[in-house]
Amino acid sequence: MLTYVLIAAVSLALFWMAAFTLWWQMHAWRTPEVLASTRFSRPDGDEHVSFSLLLPARHEQAVLDHTVQRLLESTHADFEIIVIVGHDDPGTTAVAERAAGRDPRVRVVVDTHEKKNKPKATNTALPHCRGDVVGVFDAEDQVHPELLAHVDHAFRTTGADVVQGGVQLINFHSSWYSLRNCLEYFFWFRSRLHLHAQKGFIPLGGNTVFVRTDVLREADGWDPDCLAEDCDLGVRLSSVGKKVVVAYDSDMVTREETPGSLMSLLKQRTRWNQGFLQVYRKKDWRQLPALRQRMLARYTLMTPFLQAFSGVVIPLNAAVALFLDVPVGVAFLTFLPLVTAAVTFVFEVVGLHDFGRQYGLRVRFVHYVKLVLGGPFYQVLLAGAAIRAVWREQRGRNDWELTTHIGAHLDAAEPSREDVPA
Amino acid sequence: MTSTLPAVSGAEIPAQRRPGPDSGPTGRTRPPQRLRSSRPDLLLCGVLLVAVLVVQGWNIADYPALSDDEGTYLAQAWAVQQGKGLAHYTYWYDHPPLGWIQIALLSWIPSAISPGSMTVGGMRIVMLGISAVSAVLVYVLGRRLALPRWAAGLGMVLFGISPLAVVLQREIFLDNIAVMWLLLAFCLAASPSRHLWHHFGAGLAAAAGVLTKETMLVVLPALFVTMWRHSHRDTRKFALTGAVTACTLIGLSYPLFALLKGELFPGAGHVSLVDGIKYQMSRPGSGFILDRGSGSYGVLHSWLYYDRVLPVGGLAGALLLIVTWRWSVTARALAGPALAVAVLTAVALRPDGYLPAMYIIGALPFLALVLAGGAASVAHAVLRRRRSDGERRYVTGARYALAAVLALAAGAYVVPHWYDGDRTALTADANKPYRQASHWLSTRVEHPRDTRVLVDDALWLDLVHAGYRPGTGVIWFYKADLDPAVTRTMPHGWRDLDYVVASPTVRRDAKDLPGVRDAIRHSAPVATFGTGDDRVEIRRIVTATRGGAR
Repeated sequence: MLTYVLIAAVSLALFWMAAFTLWWQMHAWRTPEVLASTRFSRPDGDEHVSFSLLLPARHEQAVLDHTVQRLLESTHADFEIIVIVGHDDPGTTAVAERAAGRDPRVRVVVDTHEKKNKPKATNTALPHCRGDVVGVFDAEDQVHPELLAHVDHAFRTTGADVVQGGVQLINFHSSWYSLRNCLEYFFWFRSRLHLHAQKGFIPLGGNTVFVRTDVLREADGWDPDCLAEDCDLGVRLSSVGKKVVVAYDSDMVTREETPGSLMSLLKQRTRWNQGFLQVYRKKDWRQLPALRQRMLARYTLMTPFLQAFSGVVIPLNAAVALFLDVPVGVAFLTFLPLVTAAVTFVFEVVGLHDFGRQYGLRVRFVHYVKLVLGGPFYQVLLAGAAIRAVWREQRGRNDWELTTHIGAHLDAAEPSREDVPA
Repeated sequence: MTSTLPAVSGAEIPAQRRPGPDSGPTGRTRPPQRLRSSRPDLLLCGVLLVAVLVVQGWNIADYPALSDDEGTYLAQAWAVQQGKGLAHYTYWYDHPPLGWIQIALLSWIPSAISPGSMTVGGMRIVMLGISAVSAVLVYVLGRRLALPRWAAGLGMVLFGISPLAVVLQREIFLDNIAVMWLLLAFCLAASPSRHLWHHFGAGLAAAAGVLTKETMLVVLPALFVTMWRHSHRDTRKFALTGAVTACTLIGLSYPLFALLKGELFPGAGHVSLVDGIKYQMSRPGSGFILDRGSGSYGVLHSWLYYDRVLPVGGLAGALLLIVTWRWSVTARALAGPALAVAVLTAVALRPDGYLPAMYIIGALPFLALVLAGGAASVAHAVLRRRRSDGERRYVTGARYALAAVLALAAGAYVVPHWYDGDRTALTADANKPYRQASHWLSTRVEHPRDTRVLVDDALWLDLVHAGYRPGTGVIWFYKADLDPAVTRTMPHGWRDLDYVVASPTVRRDAKDLPGVRDAIRHSAPVATFGTGDDRVEIRRIVTATRGGAR
């Protein structure tokens, strides 16, 4: 009897968890009006905000110049680019200095920290920012020339303190996991993040994020000891009631690439999970005024671990129902999480179709097959990363495991560095 | 404060209705976003609901005559309530069980208060609730499909007060419950907010409808069309796949249930879902519906006997809407119901299909809506078509005169017919013989616990309440021949019985059931209630004199 109650309780808990996640994942498509509201509104040509764009670069001499040149093509009239390089990285420094010599809008700041990471680099540059708004990009980002004009308009029309633009992984065809990775980004930036903005609790992304300079200084910049400093910044700002606006336009997103190997994806994911765990333990989210917001915060920051848990328990539960002799009613309950999983799968397939449409990419039948077949394996990967994160956090290992990138989204395939948590 | 673009002040999303491009049906009278807060709609719908409730509720227990099917569903619901499984005999996958599980839920409280009320006549009151919900949903659906207020009201009246509808909706038929679910699905599919989860809910409701009565499957394409028309281009693919997925997954729970019980595939010594489906698919046909003398023809005429306006008028309305598709906004708005009518008609026109009397129940709401839509279309053509601002007054006057004449002519035809039909429904007592037989068997038999009697299901629960042993004491007459679990308890056939209650149903079907036939042959009437073909005879088995008296 107790076994039955236990099975039923676990099944129902899993069902509600999956149902909530699905509900939030589908936020943007709830009604046509919601979908329309997730886009940038068209800029009116009037520009008032000045930008300081931070570009931390480490061993990225190969792609940095291209990124800077593209940023300089922006249509916005008032911005500066601050490239942050390490004192021990002469190659990148040389490229940055050359770019600064060509265009007065580019400046170089040298980070002299002994152990380097992204929050330390951006914090180093913060005192040098002259613009009203600080924007962060990564050295290999492809930024749309009209993005700044749109962000300017968003700041002025909404009175926002923070504007988060879309980031999208594009190279879905590279491997089975990059397909799922791309789709994760799609659902996150296209849909889920808007829900967080609406609810008043948001873990920000690592780039294409714009914060008013005074707000950022008031918050003492980024937390140099946090592995998910971007998420942490979002949590700290939204917890004290700063207004965050999210906008997603498929032609305005910052395009990126997935990690080049399964191992680097695992490392990247481990770092995020560990970062989420750190943010959870910092307890800034407790300042959120409403209980519902705190629940959302708790749930969101715990998601990686719940995911790991459910990935293991769902099949186990179904197996119990099939092979153990349980009453039909209880057996039915054990199938509930499987039902939500199936619905999620279907929506992912439709999401992949929509992704292809939005970005003008040809999604073939084999990609849909890969998406579905890869699902369980990806789940295993996520579970592995979650367990690894807990283990590392327990052992107090907080160093950055950097991931190398092959530049699959650029024309030339050259090694570069990426450390962009979403 | 945080919010999504381009919120003015961190308001919840619904507050900032940014108009997506419109692709919903454009009606002349756009229904209000929230019917709930529209006073004229509430008033009209409320008044009509009271009328429907009075006409359907008054005399509900005594008319129409109790049917064996009603008794079966209620007895199965009783079995669910008692925790005896899904049926009062072995459940054999004849229909998905969701229908009588709902009846069991709805009748739970009344039967807990007074167990004796769990009889067919008494529990018809449950159907009144179902009818009320369905009638309101017809109105809501009419409004959501852009019908003007009066036409939506007309649809509700046609659906709720047509004598044919009154007769069929009073009875405890699974189809009535399934129709309610389907109507809910249509209403959600046509939701003005075009919410993803409304469409998802439509899929769930449709699945519930199909699991209540599997014949609703054929209406699903019409539901899909409705959803397609009412969803927005940008969110359509998510909405439709969501709905289809929801419907499929919930629908799969039925085979899953069979699988978990080990009864999906045929095997020795147990029933199975596959066998049940095979049986339903191979039911002997009742002939072509337009073929005089066929069973289907008889069924058709039994419908037309009660009302011609709704079936014939509805069909004509559907034709009108399909023909005027190109020009009429109403026709396009009502594409879903018109398609439902077309599909149901096509299925009824199968050359040799099985056509049960309750078949038309699934079509009633769509016939009503389509007829109301046809009326709205005609009214629009008469009153508004090619009308300019500078139209001469006498032309306008003529338009209104013509409209009035048409309305009066329709009223002059419909009202007397309906008056007669509904008066019968409100006053006739068709079930006196059954009540008397029930009373006789409850009071005149000395030891009901040790008495074995063959009855049809309309009386089965009455006798259970009177103290007969359910199943093998009071025996549903089919089971005496068809259920091995029952025949095992009757090694000497009719000699093991004490009484046969020869109701019209028992007499009709006894010719195919040798055991029942023998029991009737070897018995003599001890009490007869009613006269002619509708009489109910209580016959005592005569074991001494072979051959019996008949």
